[in-house]
Amino acid sequence: MSVSWKKGSFAAVLAASTALTSATWAQDVKTITIATHYNEEQMAPLTECFRAYETGHPGIKIVFQQAAYGDFLQTILTSRVGGTSPDIYNIYSIWAPQLAAAGTLATPPAEIQDWIKGAYGAGTVGAATINGTLWGIPTELSVYDLIYNKKLLAAAGFNAPPKTWDELHDMAAKITKKNDQGVIETAGYVYGPTVSNAVHVFYSQMYAAGVSPYTEDGKGTNFTSPEAIKILERQAALFSDGITSNTNVVDDMAGGKAGMAIMANWNKSDFVSAFGDEFENTIGVAPVPNDGGAPGTMLYSFFWAVDSTSKAQAESWELLKWLDTPQDGKPLSCTGDMLNKLGALSGNISDLAAMDVKDSFTVPFVEAVQSGAAKSQPNTWQASENERTLRGYIEQVWAGTMSAPDAMAAADAEITAVLAEQP
Amino acid sequence: MAMVRDTRAMATASTMAKYVVLTIGALLMLAPFFDMFIGALRTPAERLAMPPPYWPSDPQWQNYLRVFTELPMGRWLFNSLYTTFTITFLQLLTSAMAGFALAKYRFRGRDFLFRSVLGAQMFPFFLFLIPVFFILRYFPLAGGNDLLGEGGAGFLNSYTAIILPFAVTWYGIFLMRQFFMGLPDELMDAARLDGCSEFRIFFQIALPLVLPGLVTLGIFIFVYQWNEVIWTMTVTRTAPDLQTIPVGIYLLRGAFVDQGTQSLQQAALAVSIAPVIVIFLFLQRYYIRGLTAGAVKG
Amino acid sequence: MSKRNRPRRASLIGWLGSKQVAPWIFLAPTLAFAVVFFLLPLVYAFYISFTKWDSLTPPKWVGLDNYKYILTVDPVFWKTFGNTLYFAFGSIALGVPLAVGLAYAFSKSRWQGLWRSIYWLPMITNVVAVAYIWYFVLDDRFGLMNRTLGLFGLGAPGWLTNPKIAMTSVILIFVWMQLGQNMLLFSAGLSDIDESYYEAARLDGASEGQVFFKITLPLLMPTTLFVLITNFIAGLSYFALMLALSDGTGGPMRSTTVTGLYMYQVAFSDLRIGRASAMAYVLAAVILVITLAQLRLFRRGGVEAY
Repeated sequence: MSVSWKKGSFAAVLAASTALTSATWAQDVKTITIATHYNEEQMAPLTECFRAYETGHPGIKIVFQQAAYGDFLQTILTSRVGGTSPDIYNIYSIWAPQLAAAGTLATPPAEIQDWIKGAYGAGTVGAATINGTLWGIPTELSVYDLIYNKKLLAAAGFNAPPKTWDELHDMAAKITKKNDQGVIETAGYVYGPTVSNAVHVFYSQMYAAGVSPYTEDGKGTNFTSPEAIKILERQAALFSDGITSNTNVVDDMAGGKAGMAIMANWNKSDFVSAFGDEFENTIGVAPVPNDGGAPGTMLYSFFWAVDSTSKAQAESWELLKWLDTPQDGKPLSCTGDMLNKLGALSGNISDLAAMDVKDSFTVPFVEAVQSGAAKSQPNTWQASENERTLRGYIEQVWAGTMSAPDAMAAADAEITAVLAEQP
Repeated sequence: MAMVRDTRAMATASTMAKYVVLTIGALLMLAPFFDMFIGALRTPAERLAMPPPYWPSDPQWQNYLRVFTELPMGRWLFNSLYTTFTITFLQLLTSAMAGFALAKYRFRGRDFLFRSVLGAQMFPFFLFLIPVFFILRYFPLAGGNDLLGEGGAGFLNSYTAIILPFAVTWYGIFLMRQFFMGLPDELMDAARLDGCSEFRIFFQIALPLVLPGLVTLGIFIFVYQWNEVIWTMTVTRTAPDLQTIPVGIYLLRGAFVDQGTQSLQQAALAVSIAPVIVIFLFLQRYYIRGLTAGAVKG
Repeated sequence: MSKRNRPRRASLIGWLGSKQVAPWIFLAPTLAFAVVFFLLPLVYAFYISFTKWDSLTPPKWVGLDNYKYILTVDPVFWKTFGNTLYFAFGSIALGVPLAVGLAYAFSKSRWQGLWRSIYWLPMITNVVAVAYIWYFVLDDRFGLMNRTLGLFGLGAPGWLTNPKIAMTSVILIFVWMQLGQNMLLFSAGLSDIDESYYEAARLDGASEGQVFFKITLPLLMPTTLFVLITNFIAGLSYFALMLALSDGTGGPMRSTTVTGLYMYQVAFSDLRIGRASAMAYVLAAVILVITLAQLRLFRRGGVEAY
């Protein structure tokens, strides 16, 4: 009797002193922690739904945890190592192979799987599937296209976006303006400092040229293909011809300081808040320029996943299904509502149908998805590490410190070696 | 006569030069803070304008208050103060105790221990980052772990994880030893004759005499810990409730990607550095003594 | 007191409080810490550096593979190593002379409390705030720095965006951060120099410059060496500023990625814990060698504190 009391109090002291999740000792209420890379403001529609869900389910408490996109994978991995993973996370599909191989993800129950397969488009279900296993509920769908500033183009004498890269180069050159100090103040074309600012753009252009960045089996790359080399050399020409620089970044698009960039549709909300009523008169969207073949680009997706060590797995899947099904006769589900306000697309068929996708900005993206022109980014092994490596080599080509063939040969060798590690 | 006037003129010129140098340096020190202070006052529209104006036309003073309502600034501030003060206290205690033992007792292995303390300072901290992380994770019987360190989260995601790896400072032991060396042995011997235990000698006689040393070391530790980011970030990544001011600001940068919100970010920076400035205006004199005491003997 | 005559301590507390036992009790917390948080991690990390480990599945022994990869295959490691050395040397080469000069001016000026408070401000500002403050100041087009240069008709360097100068900018920021501390160390060193040296020199008709170079600098040597060594060790293992400034990416073309930051990315982003541990050991070995070499110099320079 006294022994067990001691044990109990010891555990209580430990739990309190280490400030673990309160769920371990408050048994009557189950806490579900949801981690996403969206910030508090972007999450607002979902947070509202969390409160509504708690009201309807008194035994459940939902906690939201934000991690910056750049830190997100790191956050999941370290929390996993620490055994303090959130119950639910919204993950980028390319992180999935690594997480799945490490046993981090829980497989959805059969009835949830059936529901997913019915409610989501085949392409997006594919993005959440690895080697035939479905790992979660697809959420945000992001598609890349050429985004351009209509007013800057018009001021330079153009009333239509470029169709080929050569056109783009010439147009961008006319838009670029330097200030008195010789810095490019307004750039005709822009990249950005993050890994995806270089890598996703490169992939999109490869798809537009009709080549997939990775081989079919996911064990090799096509970076050394003539198409890939040509793409990079043309990118580098924008830098060497003084049309763009590291100073000029994709964020400038919302500031009206950039002519064109290959960007994803999720930037819509930034454009809307920056340009207001003038949004559709300012920002235009066109297919990724190529040398004239069929259009092509890249899409990537996120999905809701449940942690395999979560103590509330069944509750988590139930919550997720609720969040992704329209409630109380509303046209959109909670997730759909949040994505809609973000200007993002959804892989959920009924959500996509009910979203505001009729504006001139969004239509081209939806078309790219529906026509199959946008190809899903392949879920390759250690993708985030490989993309950092690839960005390093792309930057070398931009800066002119390495030729495109040399850089891509080196990138291919390094990344192929990593891909070979896949168990 | 002429020569004297020359020297005087030269002396005046060199005095002038000194103040010019100091003033230019001071301006360079202050300008970035000024930039932050001004930046926090700009409206979102000004941030998006092309080109953006430097001087805010409609100063957004409320940004400095919004920081407290829109960011968990209070929580961060508490965590920063709590962990910093706890670590400072722990390091002072362990440094004083170990420094006292090394300075005032003769025992086998003392010199070896002292040399080890000096040597330990040469091991860079990043060498410990990874293993200590996993040691805390697999600490037996901590945070739901069993005897083998499995089953729970160990000390991760707890204040203990932030604090414990900083419980001892090799530099502090070295410094406190120097301070204790300065105390005459007769003082202790007299106390012993009076029947004092060694603990009473330490706490009631020796410690009060090195109080200036303790304060200086304490401030030294405080500055270091107040600015610590890498470790705290590593162990509190998934525990927003435990994050300190710098870690919180860094990890919440996702909230400021929109250019219109950058004024708020600059306001947050200003608020984050204010408390320590206040503390330092009061304590700076001790700090200087700590920087120089014992470290350098010309 | 001889052993024979010593009165027997009856109580345990008395025994613990004795001259023989007490020092060990004073040392106990430190010794326990040393075992758990110093020796154990060193051994643990050493073992891990010979394995391939993602921290989620059990480690696999790979022998020297990690070291071989780092030293012979990985093109990034050597680049970051070069960046690390450039940073450590650069921040000293720039920071120490500046600090000496300022300390010289400071030590003979009035209003020392005011100067001290100002020069201290950067030092007590947390490093994330420092990084973000400068991020705004150094913005290529609209930052305070390039706006000011523009007023004087000067060009606008890409402080943080040009891979060729990004690390130099980091050094400048770091020097700015550290200047106050080093200046105060030097001014303390200066105040230790006896006035009589200066008086003798002036009587001999030495100019201000001659006094500074022939008397002040040599007598300041011990402080200089102390600052050099501590700054150098700190510089080689530093990466908080680079992390915050580059949003964790390590700058354009990895130009501000120092080895510590690279190790952090490899460990906690790529989950290659074994490789990261090996990196830590390689860099630590280099630091140790350099430090020992410096310590010899230190001793020869007449600094006895170590």
